[in-house]
Formats: sequence, structure tokens, C-alpha cells
Amino acid sequence: MRICLAASAGGHISQLLKLAAGWNGYETFCVTTTGVVRNNLSELGEVYVVGECNRQHPIRVITVLLRCGRIVLKERPDVVISTGAAAGCMLCFLSKMIGAKVIWIDSITNVERISLSGRMVRYIADLFLVQWPELADRYKKVEFVGTVV
Amino acid sequence: MIFLTVGTQFPFDRLVKAVDQAAGINGFDDKIVAQIGDTSYCPKNFDATRSVEKAVFNQYFTEANSIISHAGMGTITMALDHRKPLLVMPRLKKYGEVVNNHQLAIAKKFEQLGYLLVAYGAEDVPIKMKQLKSFVPQERQPCTDIVAARISTFLNELSKSRN
Repeated sequence: MRICLAASAGGHISQLLKLAAGWNGYETFCVTTTGVVRNNLSELGEVYVVGECNRQHPIRVITVLLRCGRIVLKERPDVVISTGAAAGCMLCFLSKMIGAKVIWIDSITNVERISLSGRMVRYIADLFLVQWPELADRYKKVEFVGTVV
Repeated sequence: MIFLTVGTQFPFDRLVKAVDQAAGINGFDDKIVAQIGDTSYCPKNFDATRSVEKAVFNQYFTEANSIISHAGMGTITMALDHRKPLLVMPRLKKYGEVVNNHQLAIAKKFEQLGYLLVAYGAEDVPIKMKQLKSFVPQERQPCTDIVAARISTFLNELSKSRN
């Protein structure tokens, strides 16, 4: 099985990296948003950098979406594991379209409600983890097993 | 030495300016090293670099007695892991610094739990920087292994069902 590890630079990727024991033994590749963190990710297989985007910059969203689409078609992951944010969300949807399973770990910073990306991915996720027990009570199909950080 | 960092993604003029002003007050004798990204404000009381390689970032982080940053989870996690006293200023939606107020939410929650200090506005920075000198963060015990094990179980079941 080929696993796509997708997370924006900063807190998203640092939370994802802590879970490396979870995919031990599987073939992985990684998608992130800035090149600065590239050297940190060398153990995760091929690293793709798609650039930053958020909903305030629609043109950049399209650019990043196209880049993510190209990666998915080339790599054809069986599973996507993401901690967010926007780029991770795109990779989840695009990979689901080619039949991949989706694992989403919502960032610990989402204290009061699940992130916008997470709320969208929830509909297609095969495993959806949150880091506050209150959130697991509030949303269906959402699990709390513990905190990553 | 205090390490000031604004994270990888966006500028943070409000924080850099507030720290610069605090550093300009008579009697301030700490050294500040700063990574300020695309921040347009130029600090007068310490040297700042826009972006640093991860290895250099790690070095500053390890050498610093305390950290000042935005309330980004990357920096917060790293400070907790290294048990460094941390002062955060949350980026706020009303200033266009982030798309929502998640930094404010996590800062409040972690402040209550004793993990870090929070400056909610520029006016809080000088006093919080004083408190930071003697602040001892609570130790945090995450359950990373349990979360990783949950993912591993999912993948192993999936892998079995496909063979």
C-alpha cells in the first residue's frame, strides 16, 4: 500500500510527523506547502511542495489544487493521512476520487469546533480523529483516542 | 537569549513591533534573536532575519532561555517538547492575520493549563516578557503512541482485507 502524508508547514506537519509509528513499514510520500521544511521530511519518501493557500486567495487555491491533482494521478495513493489544512483537504478529496481511503487527524488547535477543512473531509473520511474529547461527543463519525501533542 | 519567531507562513507586525518596543525600554538587557518572515516592520533594538533553515531554527530554539512567538501549534509543540518558557501572541482574524481565531482558542486553553503565557494585545507584551523570565511551564504528556497505534490498526486491517 502506498500512503500519501499530507500537511501544511508549521503545526500541521509537526503533528503529523509525531505519528510516524502509525505507518511504519508502509511505502510513503509526502506533500507539504513550503520548501523550508523539506529537509525534515526526507525519511518520508518523495517530498512534494505545492505552495501555501487559503480561502482569501482563490487563484492560489486553484494553482495548489492543480498541483495536488497532478501528484495524485502520478502517485496513485491507496491511503491519505492528513492533519490539514487546505492542501491536505484537497489531497483527501482528490485521492478519494481514485478510490483511496482517507485518514484525517484534526489539529489540536481546533478546540471549540472542527476545522473548516476537517468539517468537509468528515463526509468522506474512513477514520477521523480529533484531539479534544468534547469534539468527539459533538460530531458523528469522529473519534477521540488521545492527543498527538 | 530570547528567540522571537513568527512562524513560516505569514508576517506578524503587531508582535515584532511590540517586542521591539519592550526591548527599547531602559533596563532591558536580554539579547533577542528574531525570525520575522515577511513582516514589514523593521525592529530597531535587535537583529532580525526573514527566514532561517530548519537546522539554524532548531539551534536558536535550543540555545534560547525563552521563546516569544505567534500562537502557532508548531512553535507551541516545540516549546513544550523542549520545556522552554513560551510567550505567545495569538494572530487575530480582525487584523487579517489568520482566517479564523483558532490561535486565540488554543492560547486561552493552554494558558489555563499552565503551558504558556499569553499576550492578548501589544499592551500586554512588556509585563508578560518580565513574567517569562521566571515562568516554568507545566509538563505535558501527550498520547502520541495511542493515536499512532489507532492509525496502524486501521492500515493493517485495510492491508489484510486487500490481500
